[in-house]
Amino acid sequence: MGRRRNGPPRGGRPTKSKPCVFCKENVAYVDYKDYNLLRRFVSDRGKVRARRVTGLCPQHQREAASAIKRAREMALLPYVVGR
Amino acid sequence: MTGEADTRPEEANIDTYEAMLIVIPELDEEQVENTVGRFRTIIERTGGEAGEPNHWGRRKLAYEIDHRTDGFYVVMEFTAGERTLVELKRILRVSDDVLRHMVVKLPPSYAHKPLPEPAEVTA
Repeated sequence: MGRRRNGPPRGGRPTKSKPCVFCKENVAYVDYKDYNLLRRFVSDRGKVRARRVTGLCPQHQREAASAIKRAREMALLPYVVGR
Repeated sequence: MTGEADTRPEEANIDTYEAMLIVIPELDEEQVENTVGRFRTIIERTGGEAGEPNHWGRRKLAYEIDHRTDGFYVVMEFTAGERTLVELKRILRVSDDVLRHMVVKLPPSYAHKPLPEPAEVTA
């Protein structure tokens, strides 16, 4: 269940609630080895993207963030891109 | 109550672990196998059960580690005996041919997924 407001916001475009990609595919464990998937959740600078950008549910956002951190430790993902 | 994903119900309370190693690129394939074999014997000697190692091959690192830009990635699943984890981690830490290692506990429901194909292979 998305936690977006249902009514139209005062300004900007109306919100659409979109289910979290991991919930949609019934993922029980976000694997740190799947770095190509995790790449979708980091910015081009290598930073973890915010939940409002990734559209993940709170639980999967947390799991994705720790998976990204594990992947960084094993040099599968960079800590910083371009210095 | 055994989970439907358990293959061995009588051992359902035994945790499965997964180790990932980055072996230095100076070795050749055969030496990498020997290195991994050494860790498998450690696991088995301490009462664990080592699965087949999965060699990802030589891969570029996302950043430099000890002035090295690539390394051999090996992933291995195992079950641990009483002393396995302490002993394995100790030896991994002092091994000069292992750049980095990580041991994680796998969730019991985790099914073996196909691993990402070894991309970005260099020379």
